[in-house]
Amino acid sequence: MIKIEGLHKSFGELEVLKGIDYEINEKEIICVIGPSGSGKSTFLRCINMLEEITAGSVFIDGVKVNDPKTNINDIRKDVGMVFQQFNLFPHMKVLDNITVSPRKVKNMDAKEAEILARQLLEKVGLADKANAYPEQLSGGQMQRVAIARALAMKPRVMLFDEPTSALDPEMVKEVLDVMKQLAYEGMTMVVVTHEMGFAREMCDRVLFMDQGLLMEEGTPAQIFNHPNHERTKAFLSKVL
Amino acid sequence: MDFPNIRFDMIWEYKELFLHGLWVTLSLTALGYLGGIILGLILGMGKLSKRKWIFYPCKYYVDFFRGTPLLVQILLIHTALIPTIFGHSLGYFVSGVTALMLNCGAYNAEIIRAGIQSIEKGQMEAARSLGMPHSLAMKTIILPQAFRRMVPPLGNELIALLKDSSLVTVIAANDLLYAGKVVSGAYFRFWEPYITVAILYLLLTFICTKIIAYVENRFSNSYVPSSRRKIFSFGRSA
Ligand SMILES: Nc1ncnc2c1ncn2[C@@H]1O[C@H](COP(=O)(O)OP(=O)(O)OP(=O)(O)O)[C@@H](O)[C@H]1O
Ligand SMILES: [Mg+2]
Repeated sequence: MIKIEGLHKSFGELEVLKGIDYEINEKEIICVIGPSGSGKSTFLRCINMLEEITAGSVFIDGVKVNDPKTNINDIRKDVGMVFQQFNLFPHMKVLDNITVSPRKVKNMDAKEAEILARQLLEKVGLADKANAYPEQLSGGQMQRVAIARALAMKPRVMLFDEPTSALDPEMVKEVLDVMKQLAYEGMTMVVVTHEMGFAREMCDRVLFMDQGLLMEEGTPAQIFNHPNHERTKAFLSKVL
Repeated sequence: MDFPNIRFDMIWEYKELFLHGLWVTLSLTALGYLGGIILGLILGMGKLSKRKWIFYPCKYYVDFFRGTPLLVQILLIHTALIPTIFGHSLGYFVSGVTALMLNCGAYNAEIIRAGIQSIEKGQMEAARSLGMPHSLAMKTIILPQAFRRMVPPLGNELIALLKDSSLVTVIAANDLLYAGKVVSGAYFRFWEPYITVAILYLLLTFICTKIIAYVENRFSNSYVPSSRRKIFSFGRSA
């Protein structure tokens, strides 16, 4: 479903991604792990073109994302993204945060969008917060709203960039639980995470990135129990 | 020092002239400011553009109008630019509004650019990741947030423009200051007319300050409407 070929990304002189090839199938849950600065976020952000791709290509359902002829906004409707810092729209109520995109991008009528938003809030356990403003929510609640907001576009893939890293420990679980539920429902997910428990339990494949390269890839059992590379071993010994 | 005996009765005689001047000053300021906001929005966005052929014209425009005296700009527009384009003068009012607008636009451009840039990058990224085109994200997500941060400096700009509008007297615009000049010329007295002019300007800036304070207050730090905030501070949920 997502095909990544020879993906290179440089920021000026700095080469951050040095040629990554990978293919993600429908309904797979992919976890990306690796040391800080290894390019995990950049990798994720290249998939929906939040970063311009320097060389190589990304295909989603056979459509080349970084083709000048491709309308990137159409691609992004199918690719939800959840950020470490939530990035809720502070000037809008929770409900409007969720409905704004379906209404303005998909021209959904307001009634329909509201029904959809309330369903999604129910799903993430925040039905009572529809009329609150983001600043009135806890971190965990904000992140769950951010997930609902992304889901409102009915994406086929969800990208998560360290969704729990900015949260207090007691709020991590409530967000991970929502993500698990999504996974059970068959959503295709790419998750950059430091939550090794989540990676081990939920993922189909684990990618270990280091210095802009995909060093190693396999099932959680392979990666966590029998890593091949020295670097993978060194990284895991630090985080486990 | 001989202290003059003040005669405000002569001001009263000319009250219609002062009222008209007040009206002219207000209309020059209002129209100049309105145009300045729209122009500032365009120029401010232009200065954020990655495209060089958009960025540089906007930058040079702003540099020119911020780097030269308004008085010079007024004369240039009234005596050179407009007669050259139209073949004759269009009157002081058109020249005045044009000059004030073009000048105010340059200052507002910087305020608007800074306001937009002050919004966290993540806001635009979140909006774009939801499939919003850049212009839509700008309109619905970035500008409403940036606008709050622009209110105080844009307010200062309004007051500055109100006072600077007095410079249009050099092209014989019959604004507030002009009324003072006429009266002082008629009576050869200077205290009464110019004190009156000063007080009327003070009154106008005072009213503007109040309006700006009201707007600032409405757009205070929190996005939560204040009645709701009160409920929250008692620990109940909305
Ligand atoms: N916009 C940018 N401009 C310049 N350099 C950047 C930019 N974004 C990222 N980098 C650099 O690219 C490298 C990889 O960054 P990236 O954020 O992808 O790492 P990461 O694996 O996500 O790290 P972390 O675990 O800390 O989030 C880093 O060296 C970073 O400094
Ligand atoms: Mg990162």
